[in-house]
Amino acid sequence: MASGMQEKQYTPSLLSFFIYNPTFGPREGEEEKKILFYHPSEVEKNEKIRNVGLCEAIVQFTRTFCPTKPAKSLHTQKNRQFFFEPEDNFWIVMVPWFETQCIEKPNKDGKPPTIEYQEEEILDTVYGAVVRQCYSMYKLFNGTFGRAMEAGGVELLTQKLEKFFYRYLQTLHLQSCDLLDVFGGISFFPLDKMTYLKIQSFVNKVEESLSLIKYTAFLYNDQLIWSGLEQDDMRILYKYLTTSLFPRHSEPELAGRDSPLRPEVAGNLLHYGRFLTGPTNLKDPEAKFRFPKIFVSTGDGYEELHLIVYKAMSAAACFMISASVELTREFCEQLDGLVGPQLTLLASDICEQFTINRRISGPEKEPQFKFIYFNHMNLAEKSTIHMRKTASVCLTSVHPDLMKILGDINCDFARVDEDEEIIVKAMTDYWVVGKKSDQRELYVILNQKNANLIEVNEEVKRLCATQFNNIFFLD
Amino acid sequence: MDGQALRPTASWENGTLAPVDRLRAERADSPTPGLVEGTEPGAGQKSAMFVHAQSFEDLTAEAEEEARRDDELDKSGECAEELKVLVGEKTIEEQRNNSISSESRSKEEDVSSEAWRSHRKHVFVLSEAGKPIYTRYGTEEALSSTMGVMMALVSFVEAEKNIIRSIHADGCKVVFLTKSPLVLVGVSRTCQSDKELLRELQYIYYQIVSLLTLTQLNHIFQHKQNYDLRRLLAGSEYLTDNLLHRLDRDPGLLLSAVTCLPLASSARDVVSSSLQAAKAKNLVFSILLAGDRLVTLVRKKDQFLHHIDLHLVFNLVGSSSSFREGEGWTPICLPKFNTAGFFHAHISYLEPASELCLILVSTDREDFFNMSDCKQRFLERLSKRSAYQALKEALKCPTYSVAQVGIPELRHFLYKSKSSGLYTSPEFPEVYHSDEEQERLMGLYQDLHSCLHHPTRPLRSFYRCSETENLLAWVTSGFELYLCFSPLGTKALAVSAVNKLLKWIRKEEDRLFILSPLTY
Amino acid sequence: MSEEHYLELCENPVQFEHASSVNNVFFDEANKQVFAVRSGGATGVVVKGPDDKSSVAFRMDDKGEVKCIKFSIGNKILAVQRTSKSVDFINFIPDYPHTEFTQECKTKNASVLGFCWTNWNEIVFITDQGIEFYQVFPDKRSLKLLKSQSINVNWYQYCPETAVILLSTTVQGNILQPFAFRSGTMSKMSKFEIELPVVPKPAKLSLSERDIAMATIYGQLHVMYLKHHSRTANSTSAEVVLYHLPREGACKKSHVLKLNTTGKFALNIVDNLVVVHHQSSQTSLIFDIKLKEPDCAVNTHQPVLPARSIHPYRIPLSGPAVVPSQPPVPCQLYSSSWSVFQPDIIISASEGYLWYLQVKLPPTVNLLQDKGKLMDFLLRRRDCKMVILSVCSQSTRGVLPVVATVFDKLNQVYKEYLEAEQSYTVAMESGPSRGSAAQKRPVRTQAVIDQSDMYTHVLSSFTERKGVSHKFIIAVLMEYIRSLNQFQITVQHYLYELVIKTLVQHNLFYMLHQFLQYHVLSDSKPLACLLLSLESTYPPAHQLSLDMLKRLSTANDEIVEVLLSKQQVLGALRFIRSVGGHDNVSARKFLDAARQTGDQMLFYTVFRSFQQRNQRLRGSPGFNPGEHCEEHVVHFKQLFGEQALMKPSTV
Repeated sequence: MASGMQEKQYTPSLLSFFIYNPTFGPREGEEEKKILFYHPSEVEKNEKIRNVGLCEAIVQFTRTFCPTKPAKSLHTQKNRQFFFEPEDNFWIVMVPWFETQCIEKPNKDGKPPTIEYQEEEILDTVYGAVVRQCYSMYKLFNGTFGRAMEAGGVELLTQKLEKFFYRYLQTLHLQSCDLLDVFGGISFFPLDKMTYLKIQSFVNKVEESLSLIKYTAFLYNDQLIWSGLEQDDMRILYKYLTTSLFPRHSEPELAGRDSPLRPEVAGNLLHYGRFLTGPTNLKDPEAKFRFPKIFVSTGDGYEELHLIVYKAMSAAACFMISASVELTREFCEQLDGLVGPQLTLLASDICEQFTINRRISGPEKEPQFKFIYFNHMNLAEKSTIHMRKTASVCLTSVHPDLMKILGDINCDFARVDEDEEIIVKAMTDYWVVGKKSDQRELYVILNQKNANLIEVNEEVKRLCATQFNNIFFLD
Repeated sequence: MDGQALRPTASWENGTLAPVDRLRAERADSPTPGLVEGTEPGAGQKSAMFVHAQSFEDLTAEAEEEARRDDELDKSGECAEELKVLVGEKTIEEQRNNSISSESRSKEEDVSSEAWRSHRKHVFVLSEAGKPIYTRYGTEEALSSTMGVMMALVSFVEAEKNIIRSIHADGCKVVFLTKSPLVLVGVSRTCQSDKELLRELQYIYYQIVSLLTLTQLNHIFQHKQNYDLRRLLAGSEYLTDNLLHRLDRDPGLLLSAVTCLPLASSARDVVSSSLQAAKAKNLVFSILLAGDRLVTLVRKKDQFLHHIDLHLVFNLVGSSSSFREGEGWTPICLPKFNTAGFFHAHISYLEPASELCLILVSTDREDFFNMSDCKQRFLERLSKRSAYQALKEALKCPTYSVAQVGIPELRHFLYKSKSSGLYTSPEFPEVYHSDEEQERLMGLYQDLHSCLHHPTRPLRSFYRCSETENLLAWVTSGFELYLCFSPLGTKALAVSAVNKLLKWIRKEEDRLFILSPLTY
Repeated sequence: MSEEHYLELCENPVQFEHASSVNNVFFDEANKQVFAVRSGGATGVVVKGPDDKSSVAFRMDDKGEVKCIKFSIGNKILAVQRTSKSVDFINFIPDYPHTEFTQECKTKNASVLGFCWTNWNEIVFITDQGIEFYQVFPDKRSLKLLKSQSINVNWYQYCPETAVILLSTTVQGNILQPFAFRSGTMSKMSKFEIELPVVPKPAKLSLSERDIAMATIYGQLHVMYLKHHSRTANSTSAEVVLYHLPREGACKKSHVLKLNTTGKFALNIVDNLVVVHHQSSQTSLIFDIKLKEPDCAVNTHQPVLPARSIHPYRIPLSGPAVVPSQPPVPCQLYSSSWSVFQPDIIISASEGYLWYLQVKLPPTVNLLQDKGKLMDFLLRRRDCKMVILSVCSQSTRGVLPVVATVFDKLNQVYKEYLEAEQSYTVAMESGPSRGSAAQKRPVRTQAVIDQSDMYTHVLSSFTERKGVSHKFIIAVLMEYIRSLNQFQITVQHYLYELVIKTLVQHNLFYMLHQFLQYHVLSDSKPLACLLLSLESTYPPAHQLSLDMLKRLSTANDEIVEVLLSKQQVLGALRFIRSVGGHDNVSARKFLDAARQTGDQMLFYTVFRSFQQRNQRLRGSPGFNPGEHCEEHVVHFKQLFGEQALMKPSTV
């Protein structure tokens, strides 16, 4: 990740976030050694130790009842703490806090206002997932904790943690976390067969002529089209691309200041290609050819790769190359010359196809419903509730309480693995439908206050017929 | 959780809280969700018998206020309490000897064993000093260290001006309830919500209070911080055990309501009036039970009996056979009525072999003979009328089959009339004959209940279509309805079934409910 | 070197007695017959044709030196020219008078240059003053002049295929006048001029007969002009100029073939290729006028391949004259004694051989580096199939872009054929009555390489090939599928199966998943079943195949089976209900399944639901004997007791 700005500004929604390993300071007075990272760092030492102590106690206590399954969260009147043990004895603890968690109730006859805590404001599943995500993100760019330990002991690990989380925590937007974070899904770009095959053959040809490239991923409009990486690695990489890298670069494009046509490239082919990682300008003699390194899992363990993200208009291609190779200016120029024009061409092809398909499907009138779809099999995710996620926030178009109801239903589904359907009517008279079929989950919010169960069911059937006619949904 | 129930839920409760007197004529035949509370099927004619409790939260609401009341009472009758306790203790003592506890207490379990761990639901009670008071499984001694940790956690969090609520691990949760001077901890492998578990802990808390009074409790721990309360409670554990058992199986405790013995209203009215006639100066409540089913209840004007208190009475009666020996006389604190003092209950069965049990609650501990006299008068009046015969007939079929409703896909249901605090429910159908199945179904109802009464996101209705059954739950200002259908039932069916069922209940309401409760 | 000879003489040439003082040899292009006339025919005439039945031997009186001798089509009538004034005829039709009869040319003091048969009984005399078109009446032993045209003729050429006679007129002889003949009619076509390299002063005949040839190339009649270079006109090298000669309309210069050399040339047409033999270098060039040359002006062509000589040929010394065990002697190619005839005939009168010239495709594969061009070239040849397939398997050792172009060229032709087929069948269905002129079934040339060809000869073996990265294998397969899709050719499922097999072999399940996600592998029941079989190794395959079956929308039964096999009895019932088939499924089947699960509640549920179905359909919850549910009824009673059975509802 490009080196970050210096001024401290933590997300207000994060009360504290710390990582500890109880085995590092077993003896009295050594407790501080257990703490590998603590945010906010300015917290007084003893308080840090105290809080870590509590977590240890909770975890230890829970073991007396379920030794195999460790504690995941602690609920108190004022907040919730989330525990995650990603590697043996390494614990990550996150304590989010939102204004909405407490309301001041003014008291008559001059008494001080009583504070009322909304203990159900936070969904365990959501923030449990967020903690896991934090770890996966660290792992993507640094490998496991264990690796750092082997390489340079606690010292190196704490450095890495400091370096990574200092910046990463600022990019967390806990307030806007919801069901989608639980899924951690991937949004796929809808595409006709032919164009897809074109992209296939593009990827294959590039990988053939630039044999250094080990894996390729192809995205359009921040949606995935092709991944040569395995699912779980792609999942977290996708998260990084769509919530961090792309947004950082999209601003100029949105402002219409897209990288200008570059006629000077080899073969005088005009193209819009540019590197999102690595050198911003190939022509710059000072240009550095360093790319972010990522770690992806292989059959046994992990491998370290350079991550090259190259974008032309709305099409982005990620090329991953073994980190053992030194990437040179020549290579980058070669890649730029080869990929730039083709990618530019493809981009406009896709755009064309997309608009055609649009026109076929006809102009969409604002539907009565909003929905979220997720398929555990391929992590495919689709939401008409969320406006496009930007770096800053992800805007949802429905009331937070409804989102939480979705979360509740999702928890319900998680309990059993059989198919299930749940239809509830909220106090606000919104209908919320949850459908779980095989590995798929569909959540629909209907704004038809006067509809009854039957009509709601019909509405959902219609939705499935239009949006999901090509997949098998048990009725 | 203080006062959460008053949040969004309030919108549809406001204004309709007080029961409305209605003439039967005015009652709609097929009730709609719109109907005003007090006109739903099963709604009482005059004022209801119970303190109102739409949902459980309002119990905690008056916590402080309670405390205040205690202080006052504390000063007044301290010494008096002592004595009462002794009496109380004695009777309980003798009950213990011949108590048949519903659950064989597996005291000698090894608390480090997998078997012990894998119990579905643990309950622990401890003092704020961390001293063990009760555990559902294993011995308190063996668990003293564990309970010590629990207390430590509680006070650690308290030190941060915070309150510990629960700990969550996969498939297991720990819930804490601090009710000074007691701390209650539940450990559950069920998928019940924290709220449900909390509710159960509350019951346990009140069970203990009902034996000692809160005043007594506070007093003891004020004087001796690490007093071993088991000395006082010794022999009463089976009550708690039974209560826990009921909590798993009895919809009444879930719905905060009681169910009645199906009985022709004519007969019931006679029984009630006979009971009404047999009054005495200090008599506050006369309750006639058939097993766990209420036949009728007569109360002093403007004295209300809270359903929790009633359930505690049910538990007391149901847990012990000693009352069959003859007339029992036992002090009992009805915590929802007053946590400070004891009532005195005269408990006896109308006939040795009969299920009919009469409970006469008096304020005066010297009232035994007055009460037994009341009973006699009641019996005389009753036996004069044909009603007694009808009553005995009714005892033969204390329940009914869902088939009577005539909806093939309908397997079971719970219906609660909010205003009367009464509910009705058919017997379990064949598929649910095993205890496991019945408890599973109860578990499902509990789920629905906690979804509908979610503290911050309550729902109007909830429909779940699963592999084992389809469930529909519906709450209106007037009633709560929980239906269980065959998993092959359709939504259309569910919708039509609701209306059909409500019509049926309306038709049957004077058999299934007490429509005209009486006061002295 | 030898495998580079892409031209060869046919294996079994037509042999005849070589020309000598006593034996004159004539060749008739129309019937492709060689006449060996010994001593004016007195000692016999031996006619050898391409096949034995067109070979004849006879005798005729020696009435002087034979100038020209030809059979009419079908060997009906023999025409012999001995003088410059007349032509003699002999009937060869059985039981017709055999005695010769003669026809003098009508035009006064014109001399006959030659004649050609245009039909079995129609003949054209070409004189220096014009042409005369006769009909022959063998029975009456007389001719009737049908038409004549007077025009000064230097020389003429005849193209039998098209029955067109080309006359060289004017002093320079470079104005060519074609005539076309068809059963009894003679039509004058538009004349045209051949541009001479230099216009001689004073004018003299400067267009030689040897430099002009007629042939049909790709079904079009062309006049080929061998344009020699000349110092004066600064043309560095000779070239062949093609004039397209349409039946109607003006004839125009259409192609220029660059020979890039000078000297003596001869032309042949083989498999629509123009073959130019160069005597001095003893090599030949081939041109394909359909091959577009990107790097030079339109319709100017370079040789397709580098110049090579015809494959060396050895004359098998056979026949009585030869002593056995004598090795065959190498035949001298490009000898001056050779005479070349259109389209593909080479005759060595001195040795008494007639060969057909042939193109050998295999060598071209290595001679033509540009695979795209190679495919274009091969796809237009007659016996190209195997060569093309070999090119395909060869290219799968190459780089993707090449593979891509090869596949695209291939499928271009494939697609055209399919479309032709398509429109043909449509026309047939719409009834032959409608639709212009009875459409004839499109011929499937060897160039049409379909998916099964590719599968059997190229792809299946390719995927087995050792030492090829699976990445590349898949890339190639996807390229082929891509190409097929690009030409909207429906892909056969065995190709998909090949892809899946390969992916599975290398555990590339996620890739497979993505392909299916974008419907790259189109739906079909076989494919769905294949996926099902993968479930054990890759669980998601189950979902994928269910989706596929659902999309097929004709596979509801299969879906039910799949669900039941997964013990999802309720799911199956709900599905059947959702597609409205609930009323006619077999209760037995589902009860069996439910009972098998050992789940009592499930059994209860299913049993009751069927009782209700019975109630609904027949007014009674009982099962019909036909449904064979007795044992289940018993089982149900055992589990839940008599009273749990649904009672017949009174209403």
